[in-house]
Amino acid sequence: MRRGIRTTLCVALLAFLPGLAGPGCSRTERPPEDVLYLYTWNNYISDETAARFEAQCGCKLKQDYYSDNEEMLAKLEAGAVGYDLLVPTGNAVDTLIRQDALRPLDKALLPHFGNLKPETLDRWFDPGNRYSVPYAFTITLIGYNVERLQELGLPTDTWALIFEPRYLEKIRGKVSVLNSQRELLAAAMIHLGYSVQSAEPAEWEAARDVILRAKPYWATFSNSTYIKDLAVGNLWVAHGYSCDMFRAREDAKDAGRPFHVGFTTPKEGAVLALDSFVLHKGGRRPDLAHKFIDFMLDGANAADVSNLIGAGNPNAVAQAAIRPEIADDPAIFPAPAMMSRMSMLRDFDPHVRRVLSRLWTEIKVR
Amino acid sequence: MKRSVGLWVAALAVYAFLYVPLAVVVLFSFNDSDLNAEWVGFTTRWYVKLMTDDAMLEAAANSLFIAVASSTVATLLGAMAGIAMHRYRVRGLSFLVLTPVAMPEILLGVSLLLFFRQVLDLTLGMTSILVAHITFSIGFVAIIVRARMAGLDESLFEAARDLGATPWQTFRRVLLPLILPGLLAGYLMAFTLSIDDFVITFFTAGVGVTTLPLQIYSMIKVAVTPEVNAVSTLLMALTLTMIGLASRLAPETLRGKE
Amino acid sequence: MTRRRAPGTPRSERVVKWVVSLPPALFLVVFFLVPSLIMVLASFRLPGEFGGLMPLRAADGSLDLSLDTYRFLFGDWIYGEILLKSLLVAGLTTALCLLLAYPLALLIALSPRRHRDFMVLLVVLPFAANFLIRIYAWILLLGPANVLYSPFAVIIGMVYVHLPFMILPLYTNLEKHDATLLEAAQDLGAPRWTRFWRVTWPLSLSGVWSGTALVFIPVLGMFAIPELLGGTGDILIGNLIKEQFLDNRDWPLGSSLSLMLTVMVLLLAGSAVLAGRRRRTLAKGAK
Repeated sequence: MRRGIRTTLCVALLAFLPGLAGPGCSRTERPPEDVLYLYTWNNYISDETAARFEAQCGCKLKQDYYSDNEEMLAKLEAGAVGYDLLVPTGNAVDTLIRQDALRPLDKALLPHFGNLKPETLDRWFDPGNRYSVPYAFTITLIGYNVERLQELGLPTDTWALIFEPRYLEKIRGKVSVLNSQRELLAAAMIHLGYSVQSAEPAEWEAARDVILRAKPYWATFSNSTYIKDLAVGNLWVAHGYSCDMFRAREDAKDAGRPFHVGFTTPKEGAVLALDSFVLHKGGRRPDLAHKFIDFMLDGANAADVSNLIGAGNPNAVAQAAIRPEIADDPAIFPAPAMMSRMSMLRDFDPHVRRVLSRLWTEIKVR
Repeated sequence: MKRSVGLWVAALAVYAFLYVPLAVVVLFSFNDSDLNAEWVGFTTRWYVKLMTDDAMLEAAANSLFIAVASSTVATLLGAMAGIAMHRYRVRGLSFLVLTPVAMPEILLGVSLLLFFRQVLDLTLGMTSILVAHITFSIGFVAIIVRARMAGLDESLFEAARDLGATPWQTFRRVLLPLILPGLLAGYLMAFTLSIDDFVITFFTAGVGVTTLPLQIYSMIKVAVTPEVNAVSTLLMALTLTMIGLASRLAPETLRGKE
Repeated sequence: MTRRRAPGTPRSERVVKWVVSLPPALFLVVFFLVPSLIMVLASFRLPGEFGGLMPLRAADGSLDLSLDTYRFLFGDWIYGEILLKSLLVAGLTTALCLLLAYPLALLIALSPRRHRDFMVLLVVLPFAANFLIRIYAWILLLGPANVLYSPFAVIIGMVYVHLPFMILPLYTNLEKHDATLLEAAQDLGAPRWTRFWRVTWPLSLSGVWSGTALVFIPVLGMFAIPELLGGTGDILIGNLIKEQFLDNRDWPLGSSLSLMLTVMVLLLAGSAVLAGRRRRTLAKGAK
């Protein structure tokens, strides 16, 4: 008797469970109508801006995040098809164009295109901007705990801070560096005075040695968690993107932490990343994608990129609406003299990629 | 051997090791701080935020759908495999069924990624996740069903045959009722594996289909918000309920998972 | 294991045999065996210019396979070093799991029958939390303690996630032990530790081995725990494989590393099976 009841219950459960998921299933199977899929950097579009766009176009904006270009390219290669818009840096734009993975822009759908500063257009990676619309630029630099570094009497405007043991020994275990082969090796190359695009294996090996010498003093490789760790106070120095440092600074301020987060471009120079919107061929809604790009080209919306995210702005009309303390911050908008010391990364061929990957593995393991 | 005090102390320490971290997660889900560095005050706002987080809700719906669909198919195929392994000497079947269970998950994830991309040229998404989940669940179901079969008295089937029952009748009237608890246990196992899986889904998920574990991973890795504590707490409560239900319906599910 | 195939098996029984075994076998051939072979093949191919793989057939139609990746892989010690390190971490995790699991499993097995299920349930319950949540819990705990991002944190995470896999098989084994053996030993005047080492431990070895397999092998391929809890030096072979596919766009290298891991696992599993077989024959001989 009791067995019978139990059996019935089991069967009921088996039959009931699929029913339970019914609503969920029909929801996910529905064809994606009016959804714009955006694959972008973490912390690169403010919630306010996104909500305003959704309200204006009457569609949904769905974002997925990556934390470096390599990751984005690899994910696309591994079958991530369906993103309408990507926000790659110049070198990745170049790769995507050569790969024939992008859809040409329809400038007629972008009436605000003229808002862009001429110096941000027609760059080497996309002459004539057939595929890309500049969105923002960031500098890969050093963020730090202002009070701590003052106390310790450490300089904040040099790569030596994260590479030279004489400084590092005072901040052992309180430093994070980017978990990005290209960015970290580039920082070490700049520290050594080499080109970030060097073809000399010996120079790359020297960069590796600098990194290996500094590594014991670092706490971790981190691409995004350093924002929180800086704001909480777990880390005192972080190698990362200017807009992330901006976020850490604001978070620490909002949470009333007893210290400040600051960020400075090292005087030796740094990597500058100009990130642009591009339309991926796998996307299903180029119409919405153009709408979004033009929305972001509008002066008021573009100003958010600097005011709320803390990134450099290629939009001339937006410039007037940017808060002065941000517009005048040389770590967000580099001064002309500094601009000449900025480098942009370019992609390597598979052979060099493998050599660098081998160096990177060594860096991670040793 | 009497149970010594030392043994008790050691065992309690292990229980504490198992539970303290989870208690911290639950506690912090009520912490009124964006940074979550120290205790600030009580709030339920993370739960409110969660309820309006579309991405999270959709991920939950996806996870549930994938778990139900994949474990249904996996239970069917796994049961067949379990019966076949116990009854018939099918060359290589045990190897096929048991190897995916024994392999580190990453290997299955990577090889399926290569297969979907290189051979099928499939756009990753719901289908690829479902196939992957079925593949890794079959073995677990088969093991459970085989164990159940091994505990059965073979003479029952012989008796059925001697009485003139067709194979279908034997299956329907004798075998099925007897292995039903095994099927249920297998189903629950597959369901749990699917809803919990991160590694294999990580390699086989495409654009627009995110599962709960993937969403949690990106929350931990990319944007550390205290919302993660709230999701975790809710998920734990949910799974606890499921386990409670399962232990009522089929107490043997909880034993001898292996 | 396979019994019962009377000589005169009717035809319908043979039909049933194929009806039952063909669907799962086909499914697994297509979605497990073939992908694994594709992986082997991929390790002999060349990385594509933008990632992925070069076309299988070169311009002249010949098969474009090469040993380049293996030359690169075995060209120096670094990749072997990572494998070694992964084995070390897996070994240490397994040992710690055993150390923590044994007393608890023993206590449960020695408890009154009516309490056992509940005590086992308490071990299984943390499983109710998602794998990532259990790791995240340690980020919360270890962050303020200043030991996050260290090898120590990685080992703690590994042990935490895999501990139940050690406790359950151990308990299943210990529960079956015959109490009279211990009583006999006690009557013969054996002190507690001697009783443990001469009676309980040897009898529990099969439980120890299955627990070891259930912990050691998954740890070997783990990438999420080192990634989330580890510091600058805590990369294991799993991380390296993941990086080749999802960061570095070098599929052949990723495939050959995966193959290396597979071979390692098969060797370990094979030797465990052999050891088990030998133990069984020895036990039979003793009887």
